[in-house]
Amino acid sequence: MRRTPTSPVRRPGRPTGTVPAMTMRLNPQAGEAIDRDDTFTFDWNGRSYPAYGGDTIASALTACGERIFSRSFKYHRPRGLLTASHLDPGCIVQVDDEPNVRGGHRHARAGSRVRSQDTWPSLRFDVKAANGLVGRFLPAGFYYKTFIHPQPLWPAYERVLQRFAHGGVLSAHTPAEAERPRYDKRFAHPDVLVAGGGPAGMAAAVAAARAGAQVLLVEEEHALGGHLRWGGSADLTALADLRDQVAVTPGIEVLTDSVVLGRYEGNWLSVLERGRPDVHERLVKARAKSLVVAAGLIERPYVFAGNDVPGVLLSTAARRLVNLYAVKPGHRAVVFTANAAGDAAAADLERVGVEVVHVEDARHGGDLVRVLGRRGVRAVEVAGGATYSCDLVVTAVGWTAPASLLTMAGDVPTYDARAARFRPDTARLPDDVLATGVVVGDGDLEHLLAHADATGREAARRAAVVAWAWRTALPHRAAEAPPGTEAATRSEAATGTSAATGTGAATGAEQAPDADPVDVPDLPVDAHPELFRAGTHGIVDFSEDVTSQDLLTAVDEGYRGVELVKRYTTATMGPTQGKLEIVNTVAIVAQALGQSIQETGTTTWRPPYAPVTLGALAGRSREPVRHSPMQLWHERHGAVPLVAGAWIRPEHYGDPAGEARTVRQRVGIIDVTPIGKLDLRGPDVAKLLELVYVNRWSKLDVGRVRYGVMCADDGVVLDDGVTARLGDDHYLMSTTSSGAAAVWEWVESWLQTEHPDWRVLVTPVTTAYASINVAGPRSRELLSRLVEGVDLGPDDFGYMHVRTARVAGVDGCVLWRIGFTGELSYEVHVPAGYGLHVWEALLDTGADLGVRPFGVEAQRVLRLEKGHSIVGQDTDGLTRAFSAGLDGLVKLDKDDFVGRPELTWQHEHGDGYRLVGLRPLDGSVVPAEGSQLVEDGQRICGRVTSSRRSPTLGYSICLAQVAAHLASPGCRVSVRLPDGHTVAAVVTEHLAHVDPEGVRLRA
Amino acid sequence: MPDTGTPVARSPIATAPPEIVRAGWAVSGARSGAVLTLTDCTPLTKVAVKAVDEQVLATVLDVPFGRAARQDWGLDDGAQVLVVGSGPGERLVLAAPGRQTHVVDRLAQLTGDALVSVVDLTHGRALVRLAGGGSARLLAHECAVDLGEAMCPDGTALRTAVAGLATDFVRDDRAGMLSYLLHCERSSGQYLFDSLRDAGVELGAEVDGFVPPGI
Repeated sequence: MRRTPTSPVRRPGRPTGTVPAMTMRLNPQAGEAIDRDDTFTFDWNGRSYPAYGGDTIASALTACGERIFSRSFKYHRPRGLLTASHLDPGCIVQVDDEPNVRGGHRHARAGSRVRSQDTWPSLRFDVKAANGLVGRFLPAGFYYKTFIHPQPLWPAYERVLQRFAHGGVLSAHTPAEAERPRYDKRFAHPDVLVAGGGPAGMAAAVAAARAGAQVLLVEEEHALGGHLRWGGSADLTALADLRDQVAVTPGIEVLTDSVVLGRYEGNWLSVLERGRPDVHERLVKARAKSLVVAAGLIERPYVFAGNDVPGVLLSTAARRLVNLYAVKPGHRAVVFTANAAGDAAAADLERVGVEVVHVEDARHGGDLVRVLGRRGVRAVEVAGGATYSCDLVVTAVGWTAPASLLTMAGDVPTYDARAARFRPDTARLPDDVLATGVVVGDGDLEHLLAHADATGREAARRAAVVAWAWRTALPHRAAEAPPGTEAATRSEAATGTSAATGTGAATGAEQAPDADPVDVPDLPVDAHPELFRAGTHGIVDFSEDVTSQDLLTAVDEGYRGVELVKRYTTATMGPTQGKLEIVNTVAIVAQALGQSIQETGTTTWRPPYAPVTLGALAGRSREPVRHSPMQLWHERHGAVPLVAGAWIRPEHYGDPAGEARTVRQRVGIIDVTPIGKLDLRGPDVAKLLELVYVNRWSKLDVGRVRYGVMCADDGVVLDDGVTARLGDDHYLMSTTSSGAAAVWEWVESWLQTEHPDWRVLVTPVTTAYASINVAGPRSRELLSRLVEGVDLGPDDFGYMHVRTARVAGVDGCVLWRIGFTGELSYEVHVPAGYGLHVWEALLDTGADLGVRPFGVEAQRVLRLEKGHSIVGQDTDGLTRAFSAGLDGLVKLDKDDFVGRPELTWQHEHGDGYRLVGLRPLDGSVVPAEGSQLVEDGQRICGRVTSSRRSPTLGYSICLAQVAAHLASPGCRVSVRLPDGHTVAAVVTEHLAHVDPEGVRLRA
Repeated sequence: MPDTGTPVARSPIATAPPEIVRAGWAVSGARSGAVLTLTDCTPLTKVAVKAVDEQVLATVLDVPFGRAARQDWGLDDGAQVLVVGSGPGERLVLAAPGRQTHVVDRLAQLTGDALVSVVDLTHGRALVRLAGGGSARLLAHECAVDLGEAMCPDGTALRTAVAGLATDFVRDDRAGMLSYLLHCERSSGQYLFDSLRDAGVELGAEVDGFVPPGI
């Protein structure tokens, strides 16, 4: 892809042609940021353009003489460069599939396809520029006034308006994994974070690091240096020295092309790191002990007629183009200056051969009137009536302090008329936030570096105090050991904490830092003319096409506050978010209101300071998943995955009905590892079980298993499962798969808050075991081939019993004889590392018995045939125990259990739905789960909670919640199907549709 | 009784080839010389001990909550155990593979008549060792905790979220090299391992096989 700038470029499927020459490229400049040995081409609106390594999209195109990069938001006026930086509103472009790329900042990349946004049919001839012809009919508030009536037409308006919306194009094409931009997230815990890598930021970082702090230095540009980068030889010398200091000082991590997005409570700082070779964007969540804001200043545009015509540049933009990118921004220039930056720009332009035809000095009463030209500057009229033919107008009228991070920390900037800008009130800042550099005040480089050095040292000092406080607030490790013990002594020495005091305060091993505060010198503030708007009207917000006339109109219409004007006109609400236009907006509104700028105040700065992609906010895709030890086997054998919470389970292996029939007729095995399991030990476990379950537990013998249901305080069914008594003081509780964590917390909550006196210890062991249910009439025959030490006969190992055994050579297995499927079945819990071994042994050994695996779907069918309910499916968040078919289980005559008062009330009043078996009269119809039951054709009287076609019975079966008066066997109900049809169904005698007497599972 | 072969225990983390069997576990035979390595240490013996009274554990195991320490429990191969103060009233003892019986017996001896719960979690937890100077940088991608020397010195034990997963975390330097042990519920072991491996790509992390005793 690398080509010389003048080579013809030919790409398949792309326009061909001669690559334009870099006619505006200058000879090498002392501080240039481009690599002339690295040449390549990229596409701009379908044509190839040359670039050097280090070129931004804007600088590369400008070097080839391009001046128009976009069309404005509302009037589709041609727009060129204004700031030649990340903030530039005139060069927001689409790069490949990425919209809204800041072309003034983003490096050009070989082979990339860069396009202008929202222009048709082309950037040069954009038909939407017709908006400009009717601009007088599109004043501020036009949108609100016009499209509010009639309301029914809003969808139509919306479709039309969408066609005018800026914002580039999101591709519907999902790129392959390898082609997707990679987003990332990481955490950082610097002692000091310095926001801004200009001279003050660098000096503060070095000073803080030399004082022992770990420093994170964040700079938005591609390199450290701030304005020194595009300065003269003295600036470049100072820059080299500062960069050397940063490089050799240990403890400084530098992030360039990165920006601090926001500051939150506790100095949580979000930092967006861009453009790394391996990561497109990374969100760094930093918790800094001290924050130093060294954000510099942003040059402010001037409001006058034609101020958005391509060729009108800020002085910093002109200097950046010349000195960083060796690009001549024009041929004939007029410079309007009110400060040294403008003077320097004029000097730079003259040095590189731009004819500076006139310097209009605001310090001596000069002013601009209007720029003439549409697609580019042709001439400029200045105060006094003189007009100068030129193609470049450079303005230097003042600065805006980007106090965003400071205001997020509590600062309220105040307007300093002498300096003609808002300045932060550093006295309002919390201790962990400091500021330095020109965002605070002026002065020469020596002043600024001295201030930054002191600020960096002070930041390090304050960070040390915070670090000490955090360390001493760590969990009191020493207190865990009795005072005076060897462990306590050792821990005290290690942590500097006292076990004896129990306060966590430092005791002498580590004293609180006691260094004196650093005396930070004041910075002078230079006088600067107040220049916001000329006598003519022009663009105030270049992103939103808001003019000074729009602001005056808004004030005339009664919007008498800057926040209201902002919302009405959308000034400061575009991509630049006020960084360029806020002061001008406030000044013009203040003038219209006849009050001072300070009285008018500013709008509110909120995070994020700079745009952040959703990709960066999301970071890597991190969603924990859980797998059983047999997962790879399931995948290899064609299991269709079922996402059940965090668990990935086999839903079926291709034939769920066949799997269910196998269990009814022969034997099947299912992976039930996700079943929750809690190891309970202690003499008071039975008390705990009596409390949390609605049924009795005090007489459960060792070796027995019992089913139990838990309810919450309101009597609503919480969870269910079986619990086995393995020893006198040792139980193994099972829970639903999805309820494992909640039940653990539930149990711990009761033990820790209500009954800390009970001696019970709970250990979750869900995944310590691989759990396999062996079900079917031949399950005993299969299992007996692999089990050692236990007689599986019905007399020795009956229904609802538990044994420990060796299975397939694996010791320590727990066998429960229970039957969720309604068949003779055993649940085998195997030490998880051997799960796959036992699983494969069951399949190998039982091949002659016709054993096959079955999935969750077959299990659901089988348990529905048996009438076993599922908590959360056949119950919901309002289902109390007597509505869940648990009448026989709830023992209201127990002294107490959780939910007893509510269940007593429900029992006495008999209200609520009832869980019933339901059979559609047309057995070919399977009502969708959730279908409503209705009576009298209208009134809802229940719902279908579970439904399937029974492979065993050959017709459809259901469980349903139904109103009590319709719950008697034989009652007919109507089921309203999702398609609107109604089918009749009858309430069955039992919940179970198959083997209601339980003969099969007790075999 | 049909011959089902000698049971071989398997970690939840897929073994990087070549697969070999060590101490009854299928482990990776891969060897890496990278400066940052990830090793599946699931075969280590892992025994949880809980007590109602925290002081019982702090006294008899001599390791406070929040810290981890190596101890000599007289294992016949001379390997030490690592006692981790993983929670209030909760310790985890890590030992070489296959030492469950020894550890459980030793705990019974140490705790005497005190009410404690000793549960073998060898098969219930996945355990990963991250070793090398870049370990903390790698973990900074997945874990919000300040891993700096001041806050998390060698021997620190804590429970936090790593890649959004509840994980027990031990700073366990080896021969002066920064190293962390991370363990989580077994079912999420592969997820944790993959997350760490993914985060370690830009740092050159490689998978290294498990070599007993491994602690």
